[in-house]
Amino acid sequence: MPDWKQIVRKNLPVLGVCLPEFTEELATHLEDSYEALLGEGLPAEVAFQHTIVQIEGSCSVWLVIRFLQEELMTGFIPKVALPGLLTSAAARLLYWALAMDPIRPKVIWLVGGQLPLWWWCLLPVCGALGALLSQRNGGSLLRRMAASQLPSAILCTLVLLLFVSGFTVSGLVNHYQSVSARVESLGLVPPGFGLIPAAFSLLGAGIAESGTRKFRGLA
Amino acid sequence: MASVNAQIKRGSAELAILTLLAEHPLHGYEIAKQIEAQTGGVLHFDMASLYPMLHRLERKSCVKAEWQTLPNGRRRRCYRLTASGRKQIAPLRAQWRAFFHALESVTGFQNA
Repeated sequence: MPDWKQIVRKNLPVLGVCLPEFTEELATHLEDSYEALLGEGLPAEVAFQHTIVQIEGSCSVWLVIRFLQEELMTGFIPKVALPGLLTSAAARLLYWALAMDPIRPKVIWLVGGQLPLWWWCLLPVCGALGALLSQRNGGSLLRRMAASQLPSAILCTLVLLLFVSGFTVSGLVNHYQSVSARVESLGLVPPGFGLIPAAFSLLGAGIAESGTRKFRGLA
Repeated sequence: MASVNAQIKRGSAELAILTLLAEHPLHGYEIAKQIEAQTGGVLHFDMASLYPMLHRLERKSCVKAEWQTLPNGRRRRCYRLTASGRKQIAPLRAQWRAFFHALESVTGFQNA
């Protein structure tokens, strides 16, 4: 008998991390399918091929997408959107506070004033806040991570929209900025205000997660 | 045999699952097989549609899942209907009845 649990873990690693409780259940389904096919008189190899096709290729992708979709969308507003928006507001406040003249740190920008280093360093606090708020509302691990990532996702979407509209307008009117300068900022701004903040927020969410587990362990 | 559009199938899945579970608790594979058998294969739920749906129903507290050990020693996750889930069946049936009635009055498909 194939080790279906192991096969599910290998074919659906994302599900194993985000929703590990379903790995065993899917394995039992495959086991039943396999045995039913054997019962119909199929050779073991053919039965195995007919069974494993349910978690291979596009089937495995759809399975993971549907699970994550259901997981995120059920209770999305209290467990992901609200904590995410509060985290987003906190991240924005920090950014504006750091940009104010009286408290601007000496080393706040990188790469000629385009990348906010100090803001990144404070973002783990915001990521942890999002994860903890989601946890307080009963959010699962996936939702807690999503709540910590929402500010970066919003910011990244806005930045990309601004670039698309900016490029469109620049194409219609004479603009002082050269194409190379625009391409350079396209390479700097989305990572600087989207991807790197996402990584720092995720770091904070991870620290909050491990801290909570340790605290529970002590209690 | 006529195939059923995925959207219609998805919409009807909730009612089909809840109705089956109203009779007795079942595990995922049994649910899929019974729906397939009772509809003559018209409704067929693969893993990608069945388990996320069960997960959603569990989140909505319509069903409760519990691991059980079968007489042969194997573990299966059995789903049973909760009181809240039982209350959902009648309104869902009414919605589908109204939908089919409306469709029938437009298309006359029942007389076709």
